[in-house]
Amino acid sequence: MSLTFLFRTVTRDAAKVGLSQHVQLLHSGCHLRAADKALLMKLRKSTGYTFINCKKALEKFDNDVTQAESWLQEQAQKEGWSKAHKLEGRKAKDGLIGLFVRDQAAVMVEVNCETDFVARNEKFQQLVKNVAFATLAHHLNKTQTQASYIKSVMQGEELNKLSVGEGSSLADQVALTIGRLGENMSLKRAVTVGVPPEWQIASYVHGDVSCHNEMAMGRYGALIIFQGGKEEEREALGRKLGQHVVGEAPLSLGNMDDLPCGESETRLLSQTFLGDPSRTVAEFLRGKQARVLDFVRFHCGEVASEKAE
Amino acid sequence: MAALMGVRACFSALQLSSPSLLHSSFRLCAVPLSHRTFATVVKKTFSRDKPHVNVGTIGHVDHGKTTLTAAITKVLADAGGANYKKYEDIDNAPEEKARGITINASHVEYSTANRHYAHTDCPGHADYVKNMITGTAQMDGCILVVAGTDGQMPQTREHLLLARQIGVEHVVVFINKADAVEDKEMLELVEIEIRELLTEFGYDGENTPVVIGSALCALENREPELGVNAVMKLLEIVDSYVPLPKRELDKPFLLPIEGVFSIPGRGTVVSGTLERGVIKKGDDCEFVGHNRCLKSVVTAIEMFHKSLDQAEGGDNLGALVRGLKREDVRRGMVMCKPGSIMPHQKVQAQVYILSKEEGGRHKPILTNYMPIMYSLTWDMTCRIALPSGKDMVMPGEDTPLNLTLRQPMVLEQGQRFTLRDGKQTIGTGLVTEILTFTDEDQCNWG
Repeated sequence: MSLTFLFRTVTRDAAKVGLSQHVQLLHSGCHLRAADKALLMKLRKSTGYTFINCKKALEKFDNDVTQAESWLQEQAQKEGWSKAHKLEGRKAKDGLIGLFVRDQAAVMVEVNCETDFVARNEKFQQLVKNVAFATLAHHLNKTQTQASYIKSVMQGEELNKLSVGEGSSLADQVALTIGRLGENMSLKRAVTVGVPPEWQIASYVHGDVSCHNEMAMGRYGALIIFQGGKEEEREALGRKLGQHVVGEAPLSLGNMDDLPCGESETRLLSQTFLGDPSRTVAEFLRGKQARVLDFVRFHCGEVASEKAE
Repeated sequence: MAALMGVRACFSALQLSSPSLLHSSFRLCAVPLSHRTFATVVKKTFSRDKPHVNVGTIGHVDHGKTTLTAAITKVLADAGGANYKKYEDIDNAPEEKARGITINASHVEYSTANRHYAHTDCPGHADYVKNMITGTAQMDGCILVVAGTDGQMPQTREHLLLARQIGVEHVVVFINKADAVEDKEMLELVEIEIRELLTEFGYDGENTPVVIGSALCALENREPELGVNAVMKLLEIVDSYVPLPKRELDKPFLLPIEGVFSIPGRGTVVSGTLERGVIKKGDDCEFVGHNRCLKSVVTAIEMFHKSLDQAEGGDNLGALVRGLKREDVRRGMVMCKPGSIMPHQKVQAQVYILSKEEGGRHKPILTNYMPIMYSLTWDMTCRIALPSGKDMVMPGEDTPLNLTLRQPMVLEQGQRFTLRDGKQTIGTGLVTEILTFTDEDQCNWG
């Protein structure tokens, strides 16, 4: 009598864990199956890998979660590469611009993906962040001294080869993310700048979607290298200039004394200032006793669409 | 005496069809009429025997959205309700232009035993939002496709967020690729997971219908249980779970006024195209807009010089109204069922700003920018305020905006409008919320 009772309780508990009726039907080994499922659910929750792979991993290592997890990670890298090769031809023209400024150095990168769904994804943004940090580290390694102004532009191929410690390269990271998100991705370009101590770097990112606090990411980004301005006003000044560069898309810097030539002006200093249409950028800068030395503007996907044309 | 009255009535009926009214209605209708006859000669006629519903698919690229769409057309083609569209035909979402805006979308139509469906499939988030704003294919419900092999992908969250944003209230889940999963219990786990996710996003996760199947099987005529039958089951559920949108005719009537005429001996006639609802002779009506609000009664309705007892949404009509002078009413006001619609001065809207390629501005839009807003038959200067945290909006982007009008005009949730500046169309939008106008919103309109 008590035995039957015990058996009943066990089955009921097992059924609760398993969340399904099947368990009740399979008397033999019902414990194992239930545990199996709870583990599978747990592994899937913690790693986010696909159900089918989580299951394979658990079967392979006899429900050892730690081993399964490391196997999954290895597998993900492999699958990422095969997926990356499969998706190679697909057009990737959406994506994000990532921008990071620290002291006297700044980095801006463009990473492309296929749709804006992926661009909003945290994992993709993590990739952008890794790319930016790797590029910045590479830049800092190369240039020990910060005496002069350095601007270096890198294209996709170069970026892919950069290492991110422990022998893996950025290309590996991209493949990993491709495996996870299932869309083609590519590293498009990056620019790093280093300035001497008396110069300033200002930045602006438009359409910030980042869920990482330390880095700004959006569809447009601008870096402005300038000098002068009052200490306390510098931040606001830089932001306004950045906004202007993103909004008005100047192509060249121009001279302070150039005469503006209307709506289609492409020289930054002669353009009408975005924040105050009654003045040109040069006039605005004079008022603030500042000087713009250089600027870089990235618009996500602009290179891809130019090529298509 | 009676005879005299009769003659008088005849006379006034003639008067009502004054040349100006005749002219305007003729001009407005001539083109669509000839167009329609032309279409019947060349193409198949569209028979409107079933209620129409708009649906769409969302879900990750490789989870089989397109395959499912193809499978639906195939299954229904066998039943005579659709033309079979191959995967390739649907996959390359063609660029289309709606109101001058480029949208990547593919549209497929099919009908079940009870309903006629238009099915939309877009590749990106921005495309769905544009679709919602322009109203090319407002989705009444959508099918979320999830691969049973993968479970929810990291982007599935983005898809549900999107569904919320574009106002889809009814979601049906299709767990795809069930043929590739040997262990049926795993499918249950996928189902549990997706229900949790739905609940997290404010949907009724517990009661959302979930169908398990394989679109590929349906396409390749394998395993009918997962293939054809699952697709049929999905369609049955969509039939019953997604409610019919409220018909325009059931709503209170709304006539945006295009012109006002004074007919000697009869009174004032307003003309326009009835936006929605039904007007009957003798109905009470209200004129709203341009800071005025007047009540009256519709005493006669005329279309193409023929008087009729009632007019329905879409009809181009002239209505004789009692006790109003021609100066009382002007173009841009609306005639509506009393109390059904109000003028407002401040609204929140979801707006798409046209890119330069689409003929829009090349410069960004900042707070305090003042374009002219066009909606129904009115236009009014308005002032833009960007949401906090946004400094500017670039052309080609969509954004929520607050719009303050110089004068209150007829506005309601879901109303569409266009923003123009000079000769340029700069954007198009959809009112999402009515806001109260406060003294702070008063400003110098120059």
